[in-house]
Amino acid sequence: MNSQIVFALIRKDFKLYFSNRFFAVVTLLGLVAYIIIYFLLPATVNESLELGLYMAEMPPALEEMLVDEDVWFYRAESVDALKQAVLDGDVPAGYAFPDDLLTQMQSGGKVTAQLYLSPDVPPEFKEIYEVVLYEFAFAIRGQSVDIETTEIMLGPDMAGEQIAPRDRMLPMLAVFVLMIECLGLASLIAAEVEAGTLRALLVTPLTMSGLFVGKGIFGTLFAFAQATLLILLTGGLVHEPLLILVALLFGAALVTGVAFLIGSVGRDLMSVMGWGVLAMLLLAMPTFTILVPGLASNWIKLIPSYYLVDTVYRVINFDAAWGDVTQNLLMLLVYAAAFMALGVVVLKRKFQ
Amino acid sequence: MNPRRVGVLVYREFVQGPKNFIFIFAVVVPLVLSFTLSLLFGTLFSGKPRMGISDAGDSQFTRSAAAMEAFTVKEFASEAALKEATQIGVVDIGIALPTDFDEKVASGQATNMTAYIWGESLVKDRAMLVAAMAVWVREIAGQESPIKIVTTVLGNPSALPWEDRLLPFVVMMSVMFGGIMLPASSLVTEKQKRTLTALSVTPTTMGDIYVAKGLMAVTISTVMGLVILALNRALGSSTALLVVVLALGAILAAEFGVLLGALVKDINSLFATVKSMGLILYAPALIYMFPQIPQWIGKIFPTYYIIQPVIEISQHGARLAEVAWQLGILLVLILSMGVLLALLTRRMRHQEIQ
Repeated sequence: MNSQIVFALIRKDFKLYFSNRFFAVVTLLGLVAYIIIYFLLPATVNESLELGLYMAEMPPALEEMLVDEDVWFYRAESVDALKQAVLDGDVPAGYAFPDDLLTQMQSGGKVTAQLYLSPDVPPEFKEIYEVVLYEFAFAIRGQSVDIETTEIMLGPDMAGEQIAPRDRMLPMLAVFVLMIECLGLASLIAAEVEAGTLRALLVTPLTMSGLFVGKGIFGTLFAFAQATLLILLTGGLVHEPLLILVALLFGAALVTGVAFLIGSVGRDLMSVMGWGVLAMLLLAMPTFTILVPGLASNWIKLIPSYYLVDTVYRVINFDAAWGDVTQNLLMLLVYAAAFMALGVVVLKRKFQ
Repeated sequence: MNPRRVGVLVYREFVQGPKNFIFIFAVVVPLVLSFTLSLLFGTLFSGKPRMGISDAGDSQFTRSAAAMEAFTVKEFASEAALKEATQIGVVDIGIALPTDFDEKVASGQATNMTAYIWGESLVKDRAMLVAAMAVWVREIAGQESPIKIVTTVLGNPSALPWEDRLLPFVVMMSVMFGGIMLPASSLVTEKQKRTLTALSVTPTTMGDIYVAKGLMAVTISTVMGLVILALNRALGSSTALLVVVLALGAILAAEFGVLLGALVKDINSLFATVKSMGLILYAPALIYMFPQIPQWIGKIFPTYYIIQPVIEISQHGARLAEVAWQLGILLVLILSMGVLLALLTRRMRHQEIQ
C-alpha cells in the first residue's frame, strides 16, 4: 500500500465531495446551523417556582416558608400591584389574601383567597396553583399531618445545577453532523461504483486495500473534524477533551462503516438518501433518551450510537472520566470495527 | 390534454411511485415527525410534573393523583418497578404507599411513605408535587381546607400548548413535502433517465404528464394532511371543508413542484433549491409557533393561505364564510401558478418543435 497514492485518493475524495452541490451546501450550512441552534437554545434552567403574594399581615410561621429556596415569592404592596406583576409576566400566578386574614382564620370560618393567573398559564395548570395555595393556607393555620416521608434520591441531585436544554441537545447535534457526512460519503461511493471510476482506479498502482483505507481515512477524518469543530465551538471540550475526541473518532469510524454499507446498496443520490435517512433516524434514536428520559429501556443499547451519545452526554454534563465510560468506548470501537469490516466486505462484493 | 392518457399516466405514477424513496418519505416523514413532536412536546416540554405511584392497597391518594390533570401520573405494579422507573427519569417523584395507608392517616396514626426522587427532576416540579401530595393526604385525614379559592385569569387567555403550535408545521410539511417533491423529483428523474424524451415521441403531451404527476402528488398530500390531523385529533367538525382546503393547498404545492421539476436539471439542484426555499415555504407555520412575533408577517407568504384556513377550521371550528377570503387568495395563487405552468409548457413545446 503506497501512502502517497492513498493521500492522493483522500485529496480527490475531498474535492469530489464538495463538487456535489447538495452535500456541499448541507455540510457547511448544516454545521453552521447546528452551532446557531445550540446557541439559540436556553443556556440555563429556571427551576424555581415563582409566585406573587399579597398579604397585609404576615404570620411569623409564614416568614420562614417564604425564604424557602424552592419557591420564590414576589411580595406585592397591593392587590393591584400583584395583578400587574401577573399581567406583566413577572410571575405566572399571584395569591391575594384579605387584609383581616388572621382574624378570619381565628374565628374558624373559611377565608376567601384570590388566585390571579397569567393568560399564558395553560388551563390544566390552574390546579397546580390551587393546591399550592391550599397547602399555603394549611401552613398559615399551622395545621400539620402526621406522616413521615422517607426521601430517597436516585442519581446525583441536580437541584440548582440542572443540565441546560442546549447541553442535552449537543449529543444529538453531533450525531446529526456525523450522519450528514455519512450520507455525503455514501453518495460519493455510490456514484463512483455506478460510474465505474472505482474499478478504473484499480488499474492504477492503487491496491484494493489501499482504496478502502483511503476511503475509510477520508470518511472518518472528515466526519471527525466536523463533529470536533461543533463540540469545540459549543464549549464541549473543556472537560476531558481527549476522552471526547476519542469518542468522536470512534463515532466517525462507525458512521464511515455505515456509509460503506449505504454506498454499496445505493445507486444514486435518491436511494442513498432513502437508506441514509433511515440509518440517520435509527442512529438518532438514542439521543431521544436524553431528551425524553425514561423513554426507552435497555433495547436502546443495541443501537451503536447509544455508546457515543451516552459518552458525550456524561462527559460534558456529568464530568465523567475515562473509568466511567471505558465500557462505552469499547463497545463503540467494536461496533465501529464491525460496521467498517461489514461495509468493506459488502462494497468489495458489489464492484468485484 | 387527453383525460384517458392522463388516467393511464396517473395509474403508472401510483404503480411506480412507491418504488421511489421520495414517495415513501412523503408518507413516512410526516408520520415520524408527528409522532416525534407529540412525544417530545407531549412529555418533555409539556412542563407537567410527573408522579409515579405504587399502591399496595387501594388508596384515595392514588385516585386523587390520577384525577389531577396538571400532573402526568403513572401507576406501577411494585415498588421495585417504581424505583427503577424513577431511577431512569420516567417520573420526577415515585411514591410507594403501604397497604393500610388510608386507614392509618384517617385514624390519625403515624404512618410512613417512601418517596423516590429522580436526581435530575426540577426543583419546582418537586415543590408542586409535594404540595399536591400534602393536600391529598389532608383529604384522607379529613382536614378541611381553611380557604375558598376564587380564580381569575387576567388578560386574554392566549396560552397554546406546544403540540398545538407545532401542528400547523407538521400539516404544512405533509402537504408541501409530498406536493412539491413528488412531481419535482419524478420529473427530474425522468429527465435524467431520458424517459421524458421517449414519451415525447408518443401522442402524450407535456401537459398530460404534468397533470398526471400533479394529480398523484395532490392525492398523496391531501391524504397525508388528513391523516396527520386525524392522528392529532384535530379534524374538527367541518371535515369536508378541511379536505377542500388541504386539496387546494396540495394543488398549489403540486403546481410549484411541477414548475421546479420542469426547470431544474438534476436531483442535486432540486434538493438544494427546495432546501434553500424551506424557510419561505414554512415561514407561516414557524411564525404561528411564536405568538410574540406579529402574526401579520405570516400573511406575506403564499403558504399562509393554506395553513391559516386549516388552523381556523381544525382548531377554532371556523365555517366557510370565515375562511372564504383566505381561500379566495389561495385560488388566485393556484390560478396564477397554473397560468405560469401553461406558459412554460407552451414554451417547452416550441423549443421541442424548433
